[in-house]
Order: sequence, then C-alpha cells, then structure tokens
Amino acid sequence: MDRFELRHNDFSLDEEQEAISSAARALLRNESPPRVVRAAEPMGYDAHLWTQLRDFGAVSIGVPARSGGAGGSFIDLMLVAEQVGAFTAPVPMISQAVVARLLVETGQPELLAGVLSGERPIALAPDSLDRPQLVPDAALVRDIIGLDRNGLMLLSLSEAPAHAPNQGNTPLAWVEPKGDRRLLVDGERAAQLHAQALTEWRLLMAAALVGLTDSALWSGVEFAKTRETMGVSIGSLQGVSFQLADVAIAVGGARNLVRKAAWMHEHMRGVRPELAAMAFATANRVATEGCYTAVHVQGGLGFTVEADVSLFFLRAKGWGALMGDPAREYEHVGDVLAARGRDDLTCGHTRQPIAVGARE
Amino acid sequence: MDFSPVQLNAQQQSVRDEIVAVLDDLVDDELLDRMHRNGDVSDNEFVRKLAKHRLSLPRWPVERGGRALDETLVRVLENELDRRRAPRDINSNIWGAAEQHGSPELHDEVRPKLLRGEARLCLGYTESESGSDIAGAKLRAVKDGDDWVLNGSKIFTTGAEAADYVFLLTRTDPDAPKHRGLTMFLAPLKTPGVEIQAIRTFGGERTNAVYFTDVRIADRYRLGAVNDGWTVLRGPLDKEHDFGQKSHSLKEPFGMWVIRRSPLEHAFEDALKWAKETVLEDGSRPIDDPVVRTRLGRIATDIEFALCTDGPLGRVAAADVMTAASAELVDLIGPRALLPKGAPGAIERGDIEYAHRFAQGNATYMGTVEVFRQMIAQHVLGLPRPHMGRAK
Repeated sequence: MDRFELRHNDFSLDEEQEAISSAARALLRNESPPRVVRAAEPMGYDAHLWTQLRDFGAVSIGVPARSGGAGGSFIDLMLVAEQVGAFTAPVPMISQAVVARLLVETGQPELLAGVLSGERPIALAPDSLDRPQLVPDAALVRDIIGLDRNGLMLLSLSEAPAHAPNQGNTPLAWVEPKGDRRLLVDGERAAQLHAQALTEWRLLMAAALVGLTDSALWSGVEFAKTRETMGVSIGSLQGVSFQLADVAIAVGGARNLVRKAAWMHEHMRGVRPELAAMAFATANRVATEGCYTAVHVQGGLGFTVEADVSLFFLRAKGWGALMGDPAREYEHVGDVLAARGRDDLTCGHTRQPIAVGARE
Repeated sequence: MDFSPVQLNAQQQSVRDEIVAVLDDLVDDELLDRMHRNGDVSDNEFVRKLAKHRLSLPRWPVERGGRALDETLVRVLENELDRRRAPRDINSNIWGAAEQHGSPELHDEVRPKLLRGEARLCLGYTESESGSDIAGAKLRAVKDGDDWVLNGSKIFTTGAEAADYVFLLTRTDPDAPKHRGLTMFLAPLKTPGVEIQAIRTFGGERTNAVYFTDVRIADRYRLGAVNDGWTVLRGPLDKEHDFGQKSHSLKEPFGMWVIRRSPLEHAFEDALKWAKETVLEDGSRPIDDPVVRTRLGRIATDIEFALCTDGPLGRVAAADVMTAASAELVDLIGPRALLPKGAPGAIERGDIEYAHRFAQGNATYMGTVEVFRQMIAQHVLGLPRPHMGRAK
C-alpha cells in the first residue's frame, strides 16, 4: 500500500463530540475537584461521583442501544476518558466501559446489565487467570473477566479482593487464581476478544493520560506565571518556558494521535492496527515526561503533597503502568511493520488491512 | 474527525492520472543526480517543463493561464512530487504575497515569466547579524529619484544562484521602531552590484551570501507601502510557520511541515526495507530480532506523533523527531548507513545518510526551533515575554 495515499487528516471535533467533551468537563470540574480526589484516597474511588458519571453515560455511550446502552461510539468514550484524566476522577470508568463493550461481544446481557447499572461491576485481568496478578479496579468487584486455557472466563469470588494500596491511589488488588469460573467464550475468539478489550483499555487510558498531562501542564503554567525569582517571573525565563512549551507540543501531538487511533478503531478497524499501540506508548511517554516537568517547574513546592500537581504526577505512572511496559507497544508496532508485505514498506499511511494478529 | 481516504471524482481522477504521467516522464535519475550535484532543492529546467503542463503555480486561475487546481489536487501533486523526491517548485509559495502587494507593472513583468517557468523566485530575509530575528534586517534601501538604492547583504539565500528575483526585506527607516522601518521588494537579482557567493552546508544544500553594493532598482519592484514591509512579510511567514492553521484537513493550505518530515519518512522506508531484506550470517534478517523490531516500532511511533502534531507545535515536533530518529537509524544499521548515494553497499538511495545531515539544518532554517518554542510559550501558553538580560 501507499504512504502517499491521500487521506483526510482532520482532528477536529464535530458539534456533538464537542458537546459531549465539554459536558463531561463541566461535570467533572464541579464534582471532581482536588478535594474530592484527595478524599477518595487511598482507594481512589468515590461512589457518589461514579453514580453521577454513570448517569452521564460514561459507560453506556459505548454500548449500542439495542444492548441497553446509549448508542454512542468509542470516540465518545475516548472524549469522556480524556476528561476523567484531566480531573484525575476516582472512578473505574475505563475498566467498566471496556468490560461493558466486551460483554456486548460475548453476548451476556445479564452481566452487561449489571455493569451498566453499576450493581455488579466487573474487572478485567490483563494476564492469564492461572496465576496471581494485580488487577486494576479489582478491589471494587467480586467478578473478574480473564483468560485461562479454556477460554474467556468469568471468575466469581465470595468477596471483593483486598485493596493493594499503591502509588497511583487506584483500586488495585491481588487476584488469586481460585473461585468459581464460568466460561464466557472459548476457542480462538476468546483470545481475540480479550486482546481487543485490552486494546480499547489502552486507547481510553491513552486519552486519560493526555487529559491528565494537559491539566498538569496548566498547573505548571499558572505557577510559572505568578512565581518570581530575582525580580522576574520565572515564566519569562526560557529555561522554564521552553520546558513547558515542550510539554504543550507533546500533549498536542499525543491528543491528536489518540483521536486518530480511536477514529480508526471505530470506523476502519484493522486498517492501522498499530495506531492503538502508538497512541498508548506515546501518551505514556508524554505523561511521564510532562508531569515531571509540571512538578519540577514548581520547585520544592511541586514536590509537596499539598500541591495539586502531585495528584497528576502520582497518577501519570499509577494509571499508565497498569497494562504493561510501553516498550512492548513499540515491539508490537514493529511486529505489524514486519508482517506487512514487501511492497508495503511504510511507516504507517497504509490503508491495507493486515492479518489480524494475536493482539487483536 | 475524519481520516478516511479521499475519494477523487472522475474529473479529479483524470487530472491525477495526468499528473502521474507527467511526473513519471519528467523525473528521472539524471534530474535527481543533477539536484544532488547542485545541492538545489529546485531545478529550473524541471520547473520549465512542469509549467508547460501548467503544473507550476497550480492554483492559478485558468484565465491567467493557470490550472486552478483545487486543494485536493494540489495535495495530490505534492504527494506525487514527494514520492519521486522531485524538485520543489517554490515560486508559488512566494508569489502569493508578491502578487497581493505588487504593482500592476510588476505583475506584467513577472507573471508571464512565472507562467512559462522562466523565472525563479527566492527568499531574502536572513542577515548574518540577526539570524532568526529577521525583523532586525539592516540591508538599506534608500530612495533616489524614482529608484531605490540597495546596500548590505543577505545570508542563507537558498536558490539565489539560479533565481531571477529575490523577495527582499530591507531597512528603509533606521530610526523607526524595528518592525516599522522595513520595506519589501521583489528585487531583480540580475542587476549590477549584486554578488552571489556560494555557501555549502553539510546537509548537502548549496545556499548563498548575497551582497548588494549600490544596487539600483525601480520603484515598481516595491511591495506594499514604504515602511510597511512587516505587513507584506507576515502573510507568507505565517504560512511558513503554519500559524492560523487549525488542522491539516484538506480544507487547509498545505503545511510546510510536510516538506520537513518527508526526508525522514524516506529514510525510514529504506531502513524497513533493509531490515526485511538483509540476510545475516545465521540466515536471519534484522527484522527477526525483537530489539530491531522494537526500535523500528519506536521510530515509527515518533514519526506518527510528529505527523499528528499541528501547526507551530508540529514544526518543533517534526524537527526534534527527525534529529533523534535519523541518528537512531544510523545507529541501528551501522556504517553502511553512512555511505552516500551510489556508493557500493549504500542503503538504497542514501536517504538515511542524507536525512541524518538534513535534520540538522531542518531544526534551524525558516526560523530555529527555539523561535517556535518561544512563540508557543507566549502565544499558546500565555507565558510572559522573555527577559533579555534585563533581570535585576
């Protein structure tokens, strides 16, 4: 395929997308200020906020109306996830949105209804259910979906696993490989669906990390505008302002990359399968570097727990590290490039669908 | 949001087919070798041939002898030029402002030549004293009767040796504030008193220093009002800097950043080919090695990131990514990646070797990335103006 192929390259939001994004932002600005985020620590869960966000549609917009959802798109979820990140909202939005979509695919309406209503949340295990592992949001649930050698399973526990307090203040918990198991999907399709759910998880997390880094950036910018040293604003010093400019560049590019990956996932799935890995690895890098800068320009004050920027810094890694090493994402991109035909030497403009690999 | 392939209608498709046929015919190894030898980004003979097909100044209205290509087809043309590593036709970027601000006499003189591909324009902004601070230009233009007399020099006047006119920034009022004492000209270069000296860059381009000694030009070459040169300059400069460009949808003008990133994309394409087609001692290929795949995946990701970064942000991202990634490609491949085009064992057409050199200039010309970082700090983030050594 042809990297000189002519494609639209439009990152802008349409009216409806703009409305969803700004409504989510308005809701979270009111309901998830730093005070609420801190109050939810160390678990990283606010039941009241979660109810409000679910009512807003943070899970249901990703589910078709015929399956009991609000019938939005994956792109809408991506826009909400960005705002969840921007306000470091202590809610399991990403895992629940992903699991709900997975249950649409597996065809378990009763489980889906429990996730949509919030009455029976379900976590998603990234690794094989045959060994103990840390599962995101598992401290909030009694049911976990994951893979074992039989297929995609629902693991049901008698009680929610104990919270494993962690740097990112998320409801992480150790899940042991014991409890009742129910087969949801078997065969090759099980691994494919699991891989697709992880891809969606990474894409939504990428969006959240972009939102988070953007907020960290503006916290750094506001500090740099008001703080003075030796009679001048530190924001007028290029040693400071250039670092912040680099974060602005990183956030701008990462946001667009995430949008493009989400759009392709929604509308032309399989055409650019490496974009999701690119988006996650980039957002992860940008969050790590950007939040460091946002903390560092605030000097010693940025290092204190009172500084709101600390909320962003600790979650940049605390959220980003939940689904594995970004270098694996780069390797996956390399795998996709390696699998492409000899006449398809491209760094990514192609629209030729490639064989769907193990990842998705 | 839209990333779908552009569907050409039947008429666009036929123009596309014609563009492909014309370029297949015009771009050959002889042309590419000549560009390489001359260190030129453009080529007068090529532009002349392009003009015969009315593909030079492709946006020009039909009644002026142009082709009136829509933005989609202009993009098709750019892509097909890029695919062939063909010379750039830089006239259309410059003529827009000259046409808008030039006198009817100037139009009559220059336009027919441009139409035939018989005139070439170049940019004369930078001076050795002021660098990227182009508003600090000192080249003097003094009114003398109906003429202007020019004295001073420009540097990095790329293409001047092959050009007929220079889009020239001059100082007409040295006492006025910096931005208010400037006047623009489209000055004829083949004029007594103009001396052009070659400067070679390690990027392979030839550029120039141009000296003006009592150069006398008519007032019709002036663009815009006297001392209002900054207004004339802002248009093309903003376009060059991609300011005011919200996204790269097809509705928007073609960004300069695309030109900046293409050498790296060519290089990456070659690296991928190398990784897939080289057979190592043990019979494996480089791409079979997960370390190689991971590094290539990282570079592809960074290229995609740069590609997705808009406007002035994208200017810096493209330059930074090209600098880091081209060096990384050389590291990955080793000494073969240092061999120039045509040498025994060189990787493909030497695009990796070239990109690594080109990247260094790319971070500077048309405004160094630090200028853009400052613009982003002030105009995107709203940070205060920098302190220029006035700190207490």
